[in-house]
Amino acid sequence: MRMDAALEFVDASKQYSGLFGRRRFHALEGFNLRVETGEILGFLGPNGAGKTTAIHLAMGFMRPTSGRGQLLGKPFGDAGTRDRVGFLPENVALYPRRAEQLVRFYGALNGMKAATLGRRTAQVLEMVNLQDDAKRNVSKFSRGMLQRVGLAQALVNDPELLILDEPTSALDPLARVAVRDLLLKARAAGKTIFLSSHLLSEVELVCDRVAVLHRGRLVRLGTTSELLQAGQRIQIVARGIAAANFTDAVARNGDISFSVPAGQQRMALERVWQLNGEVISVNPERHSLEEIFLQVTADTSKPAGAA
Amino acid sequence: MKPVLLIAINFVREQRWPILVLLLWVLLLAFLGLATDAARQSEDLLFVFKQVAVYVLAFSVFFGSSAIFNDRRSRRILSVLSKSVSRQQYLSGLVLGITIACGIYCFALGITGSWTLGEAGFPIAQVWFLMLCLIAACALAGTVALMFSTFLNPFFAAGATAAVMGLPAMVSYVTGSLQWGYVIPVYALAATVLKASFGAPSGLPWFPIVWAVAETLAFWLLSARIFSYVDIAVSVE
Repeated sequence: MRMDAALEFVDASKQYSGLFGRRRFHALEGFNLRVETGEILGFLGPNGAGKTTAIHLAMGFMRPTSGRGQLLGKPFGDAGTRDRVGFLPENVALYPRRAEQLVRFYGALNGMKAATLGRRTAQVLEMVNLQDDAKRNVSKFSRGMLQRVGLAQALVNDPELLILDEPTSALDPLARVAVRDLLLKARAAGKTIFLSSHLLSEVELVCDRVAVLHRGRLVRLGTTSELLQAGQRIQIVARGIAAANFTDAVARNGDISFSVPAGQQRMALERVWQLNGEVISVNPERHSLEEIFLQVTADTSKPAGAA
Repeated sequence: MKPVLLIAINFVREQRWPILVLLLWVLLLAFLGLATDAARQSEDLLFVFKQVAVYVLAFSVFFGSSAIFNDRRSRRILSVLSKSVSRQQYLSGLVLGITIACGIYCFALGITGSWTLGEAGFPIAQVWFLMLCLIAACALAGTVALMFSTFLNPFFAAGATAAVMGLPAMVSYVTGSLQWGYVIPVYALAATVLKASFGAPSGLPWFPIVWAVAETLAFWLLSARIFSYVDIAVSVE
C-alpha cells in the first residue's frame, strides 16, 4: 500500500486576477507533486515561477483556483495539522520583541506547554547560534539574524514537516553550513523537508529529489543524482597518450580527458590500453544543477515529470 | 482559547502607543479634578468626562480597521497563521484585543470619573454603567470595522463602519423612531453616555448592551466567514 505523502499537490492551479476579474495571471497550472515522508525535496524555479504560491497554498494562506492538496494527511488549510509543520517565509517579518520572547510566542501559538517551551526555545536558539542574542530585540537584528530567528520559530515545535522558502538567502557562508547541517540532521531524525531555494549548490548538497517549476508548471522532477547524471555518457581521464587519438579529447597537465557514450566505454578503455596509456578515472558524466536549471527553464515545452 | 488570548495580548502590546495617547485624555480629566472645585464646576467636569469618554469609540474603529491590514502589509500574519491557529481564532484574538485596549481606557476613565464626578455628587454606579456601555459600543464598532477590513483598505473600512453605525441613527433621528437606533446600537450606547446628567440621571438600560454583545458575535462570525476566503498572502498595497 502506498504511504501517505507528507505533502501533496493534486492538479493544483492558482490564478490571480485584477479588479473585476481582468488581467488574469496563472501563477500555477495543473501542478502535481508528492513530497514523500522523510525526504528533502528541493523546489527550484526562476523568479515568478510559482514556488511561493505553491508554498502558500500548502500552508492554507490562499485557496487553489482548482485542484486540491494535502498536508500531513489533511486538506490544505487545516489549522490543527499546522502544529506538526514548521514554516519559514521568504521574507521573515516578526514582531519587535526579544528573540527569546518571540520564539516562545510562536511556540505557544502551536499549543506548546510552558514547561517544554522554555527548554525548547533555548535549544532552537542555540541550534541557530543565537543563544547570546536571545535577550536582544529582533528589531535591532541584521537580515541574516532575523532569518535565523525565523528558522528558530519554525523549528520550535519540533515539526514533522519543514517548509522553508529561501532559508539561507540572507546568511553568511558559515551560517549556511550550519543550516545545511541542521537540515541533514533533521532528515536523519525522520523529518520531511520541502526546500525552496535559488542556491543550487545548496540544493545539490542536501536534497534527495529536485522539482523544477517554470511558469507555474512542473518541468522536471527526479532524484538529485538522476538529474545530475548527464544521461548515458562516461567521462574518462587517461595519461600517457596524445589527445589526437580521441574525438573532442582535452589535454590538461599531461592527462587527457574525453567522454564517450556509455555503450562505447569498454572499447574506449581498451583503446587507451592498446596505445600504452594509463586509465586514471572513469566516471559517469555529471552536469551541475545550474546547467540543468538553465536548460529546463529555457525549454518550457517539456512535459511535467519528464526526468 | 490560548492562541486567542496570545493574539489579543500581542495586539494590545502592538497598540501600546495609541493606548497611551488615549490615556493622556484621562490624565486631563484627572488634572481638572485636582485643579477645580468639583462641587461648583460639576457640570463642566461631566461635560469633559462625556467628551473624553466617546473618543474611545473613534479609536476602536481605528483599531478594527487597521489590525488585519497592518499584519498583512508587514507579512507578520504569515508567521502567525502558519501555526496551529485558525483564521477564526485569529479574528477572535483581534476582537478581544480591541476590546481589551478600549477596556483599559474605560477602566482608567471609570476610576478617574468615579473620583472626580463622585466628589461632585454623581452616582459612582452610574459612572461604571456608562463605562460598560462604552466597552460594549467599542467591541461592536471594532468588530464591524474588522469585518470591513477583511476585504477593504483601512480608510474605506473605517468609512463603511461609520456609515453602518451612523445610518440607523440618522434614520432614527429623521423619523423620530427610537427603534432604528437599536439596529446597530453603537449610537444608542454613545447617546446613553452623552445624555448622562446630574439633574436627571438616566436609568440603566441594559437592552442596548445585551443587543450590542449579540451583534458583536454576529459580526465576528460574518468576519470569520468572509476572512476564510481571503488570500492573505496577496499584497495589500
